[in-house]
Amino acid sequence: MALVADALQATIGASEPWPDDVLLYQQYKAEQITLPDCAQCLAVEAFLRMCGLRFNVKYKTNAEEMSPSGKVPFIQAGPYLVSEFDPVVGFGFSLSSEMSDTDRSEMRAYMSMLENILGNAEVMIIIMIIMLMIMMIVTKPRYGCSYPWPLNWVLAWRKQRAVVARLTANDWASKTMEEVTEEVHTCCLALSEKLDKKKYFFGDNPTELDAQVYGHLYTLLTTKLPGGPFTSVIREFQNLAEFCKRVDSAYFSD
Amino acid sequence: MGAVHAKAPPSGTLRDSQPTGIKTTSTFAPKKDDNVIKLDIDKIPVRVQRIVVDGLTRTKDDIVIREIRPLLNAKTFDELVHLSYNAKVKMERLGVFKNVVIAIDVSKDNREYGYEVLFEVQEFRRIDGGIHTSISNNDGSLDFQLKMPNILGRGERFSLDYTVGTKRTHGYSAYFKKPLNNNPDIFFGSTAYQFHGEYPWSGYKQTDRGIAFDLTFPTILGSHNIQWEGVWRDLRALTRDTSFSVREQAGHSLKSSLKHTFTIDTRDDPILPTVGMLWRTSQVQFIFRKHFSVLDIETFFNFFYYNFPSYLGQIFQMSLAGGLMRTLDPVASVSISDRFFLGGPLTLRGFNLKGCGPHSHDNALGAESYWLAAAHLYSPLPFRPGKGRFGELFKTHFFVNAGNLGNLDFSGCSKSFLCRVCVKMRWSYGCGIVLCMGRIARLELNYVVPMRVQKGDKANPGLQFGIGIQFL
Repeated sequence: MALVADALQATIGASEPWPDDVLLYQQYKAEQITLPDCAQCLAVEAFLRMCGLRFNVKYKTNAEEMSPSGKVPFIQAGPYLVSEFDPVVGFGFSLSSEMSDTDRSEMRAYMSMLENILGNAEVMIIIMIIMLMIMMIVTKPRYGCSYPWPLNWVLAWRKQRAVVARLTANDWASKTMEEVTEEVHTCCLALSEKLDKKKYFFGDNPTELDAQVYGHLYTLLTTKLPGGPFTSVIREFQNLAEFCKRVDSAYFSD
Repeated sequence: MGAVHAKAPPSGTLRDSQPTGIKTTSTFAPKKDDNVIKLDIDKIPVRVQRIVVDGLTRTKDDIVIREIRPLLNAKTFDELVHLSYNAKVKMERLGVFKNVVIAIDVSKDNREYGYEVLFEVQEFRRIDGGIHTSISNNDGSLDFQLKMPNILGRGERFSLDYTVGTKRTHGYSAYFKKPLNNNPDIFFGSTAYQFHGEYPWSGYKQTDRGIAFDLTFPTILGSHNIQWEGVWRDLRALTRDTSFSVREQAGHSLKSSLKHTFTIDTRDDPILPTVGMLWRTSQVQFIFRKHFSVLDIETFFNFFYYNFPSYLGQIFQMSLAGGLMRTLDPVASVSISDRFFLGGPLTLRGFNLKGCGPHSHDNALGAESYWLAAAHLYSPLPFRPGKGRFGELFKTHFFVNAGNLGNLDFSGCSKSFLCRVCVKMRWSYGCGIVLCMGRIARLELNYVVPMRVQKGDKANPGLQFGIGIQFL
């Protein structure tokens, strides 16, 4: 039923012009501790900017609960609410319409690899952070400022449980930090080889893959939270770091 | 000799009357025709020598002693019977005994005017349970209950409940009640609960998890209840079509509130009263970051009058209700689940359930104040079929309802404020049949004509069916 609704929404959305009052809802970044969500928000934002679509970002503490799918970010375009990266991409605007079918399927393959490896690696970090955060809440009330006691630690605990469940479902829960670092290394190596010396992954114009790579890598590179092991892995690949800087200056310079 | 003389008749009469137990009254004189000895029990002197309470296992002695101590002061036989009956009523109210039977006998050691009183009590079982149905707001639910009466021996009660409703509502709760000072009217209660409910008229669902502590005590005027409640509420949009103004409020919130409820209830029946009145006023203070943030006052008045020529059996009812909510803290906002809603087949008839007031894409948003008034005239069924039997459960009624709902601006003068309250009034009238389903619910089938409807209201002219306990 939800799938039908999504498909219907996408078709309806495509036939209409992009409205002026589009809002991108996401949580506050300062208190935002969920790295994968942060990466997703950044990817969607990068995609919309690459498409040259007008939108405003709106920060809400309860953005996650407001979202129809329960995940951030989501956009409000007129009467439609579209959440997460793939539905937003399917909403009607595409960066890959002029690409050949082979390129497009290759792009899909890279995107799913990215989601599987970097997505899970970020989740792995959250677990560490959440554990740290629970300890910190006792001493540092800063983390609990969006929710009053005792909701702050109840919600943190719930998030941790959901996150562990996700990792268990993907068979990642038993991996050690070294194994995860190895996976991240493989993923970055593949991306780095694909990017090579090009401006973007598929030539001179950005695609959905570029938006997503930027979202994940930028989040991992700039996070102030203890994501140490992966940051150093990514820094090993010079062209990826430069790619992030390039996208940042081209689309996020304002 | 006096002792022998006094012994036979009273004990004889008491043995006769014993099985009825409760029916003991002051007119205890033996019948004149079959008894030669005339006795005036008001004058028989009595000295209570022993009081035996049989059947106590878990109950602590002190609460029983407290209730039966006055018996020792009985001077005459009449007084003794009276005091024993009072003690029995008090003991039954403790919530400890299933039943209490009194037996009065002469004392075994043959002292002059010596009597002894025996209370045979039966305690409640240690664990009791049950399944029953309850009905509220056009929604039925099945309740499973496990209770432990008298858990600590002084009338304390602990119960566990699980509720499943027809509209995907479900909840658990644990409740502990302790009478204070061994008085069953003054008690302290504490509860922990989780409840999930769906509110389709506003397009949201909510899970509440909370704890509450309350104190109930009676005064000369009525009963008071003071409650502190802390609840974690998780509000979510019900469907994809939920209006954005409701969706915006989704998320977790913590509500801490102090509530005072004052109730006077003199009605003879909660579902279809014939005489009496119910007055309930509650005020809630929401506490947000150590300050009082929202004040919410709601009052409810129901009056029944039964003084027409009684053979016609007509009852007149007047009802008034109103609520007002005001934010005291500029940062605080009132969640949709705390707001007032108006409309429904048992309140403002002629409108859909919560169908009045501001809406956004078919979702009722509620408002911060309302008033509601109703007048009813009940009569028995025409030609009185089933008179004295099931026909008494049915009544026909004519009614007029009026009400309004809106957000108030306190900055303006009071005159324009009153104008606004009245100018957008809704009202309707109609007639129908009321059925009283035991003490569970009230069923109404009405034909309603909404006379004044405001923009955005969902009126429901014609036949309307309602079921519930609360009505106006």
